[in-house]
Amino acid sequence: MKLDPSFIWTAFVQILSAIPTTLYITVVSVLIGFVIGVAVALIRIYRIPLLYPLAVGYVTFIRGTPMLTHLLLIYFGLPVLIDGLAEQFGWSFRSVSIPMIGFAYISFSITAGAYMSEVVRSGLLAVDRGQLEAAHSIGMTTPQALQRIVFPQALAASLPNLSNSVIGMLHGSTLAFTVSVVDINAKAQIVASTNWKFFEAYLAAALIFWGLTFLIERATSVIEKRINLYNRGGVA
Amino acid sequence: MGAPFDISYVFSYLPKLLGTLGTTLLIVGCSLQAGIIVGFLVALPRLYKVPVLKTCSEIYISFFRGTPILIQLFLFYYGLPEILKLVHVDMTRTPVLVFVILTYGLHTGAYMSEMIRAAVLAVDKGQIEAAYATGMTGFQAFTRIVLPQALGIAIPVFSNLVIALLKDTSLAFTLGVMEMTGKAQTLGSLTQHFIETYIALALIYLVISFTIEKLLLIAERRLLRHEKRSTSEKKSFKIHKNWSYRRIIAELGPGKGGAGL
Repeated sequence: MKLDPSFIWTAFVQILSAIPTTLYITVVSVLIGFVIGVAVALIRIYRIPLLYPLAVGYVTFIRGTPMLTHLLLIYFGLPVLIDGLAEQFGWSFRSVSIPMIGFAYISFSITAGAYMSEVVRSGLLAVDRGQLEAAHSIGMTTPQALQRIVFPQALAASLPNLSNSVIGMLHGSTLAFTVSVVDINAKAQIVASTNWKFFEAYLAAALIFWGLTFLIERATSVIEKRINLYNRGGVA
Repeated sequence: MGAPFDISYVFSYLPKLLGTLGTTLLIVGCSLQAGIIVGFLVALPRLYKVPVLKTCSEIYISFFRGTPILIQLFLFYYGLPEILKLVHVDMTRTPVLVFVILTYGLHTGAYMSEMIRAAVLAVDKGQIEAAYATGMTGFQAFTRIVLPQALGIAIPVFSNLVIALLKDTSLAFTLGVMEMTGKAQTLGSLTQHFIETYIALALIYLVISFTIEKLLLIAERRLLRHEKRSTSEKKSFKIHKNWSYRRIIAELGPGKGGAGL
């Protein structure tokens, strides 16, 4: 084994083909996670009976255990559950027909949901209650007030956390290799072991991730500037 | 798979997994210490704006926060021996655990340095001036006035970091370290009772992270006892209404608050 700097570029080009998989996993889990997060956050803010303890339990469990265990639990647990139910009710659907990446989507969405709920909750609570009352006083309905007044402000407040969550999920997607999904990390492993150049391949993968993270951060700061226009202070 | 689900396995696996708890905690403990030291070393050039070192530490932080820990783990495991071979240091006999602790130490160090920097900056500058006015030296002012307050501010973030680190250790199995996750996978494939093993594993992680959180909450109450704020509101993730406090947290960067793996 000798260091081969030129191989970094070769590996880089080969690993590029796996970027879409990583991005799919990230985007899907963030989007579904966001939906779950909003639901859980609203349940917790309005303290809906019965659902409230469930939501708290869900968030505590997910935040207290590693993402890897969620993935493994879903990967091994879900087929047993689905096949058991299928047997009982005579469905033709079996867990075999779920693609590997499906497990990654499901498990990472569940993970993202718990973290997102905290992000959404802190964002919503950051908006002054007076804003809602003011909206009501000028005759808006609650959905209108939420949509026009509260949500835009909550979004602005939670944007930094949101971007951190996205980056977290991007980095978390590397775990997908444990269920044989070929994402950037798995591709790096393949490139590394077929050429016996581990360091170079992982360096290339690290550079790609670094670049992606940088892009997300840049994009966030642009959006943040745009979204915080109302808040620029002074007399404006 | 194939084996039917049997809850009693969960309980029989618990003690087996607890046997490897030591390795997990060893990784957490060692890399935490390394992380704090690295964090301080990296935070100081940025706090005092030392010309070249400042850029170096910024790149260091950016790299370790910008790449997944799994990639870093592989990078160090495979890369370090090759680089050290160039200077004729043989690392073939180094135990894997050293690489793991090194990686986690450097990874946490990046987050720690951000935490330390933001916490120190969050302490009111007037406090330092007041300390100088009463005749303290710079060192005295830092250790007696700034540090205790910064510690109190930083501890919720610190707690998040420790829990994130604990959860990150579940990745050490990829290098063949027999910590809890590695042990769970071995147990699972030996007995084909995967679900039960992973439930047991999740339970252990849950209990440990809960304990860490509680312990650090007690520490936080002690450190912030000079402030009359009711710290109990921090329990169960209550959100702080106080705007300045939220800004500090935002500035700290929620650490790995986004999603610790």
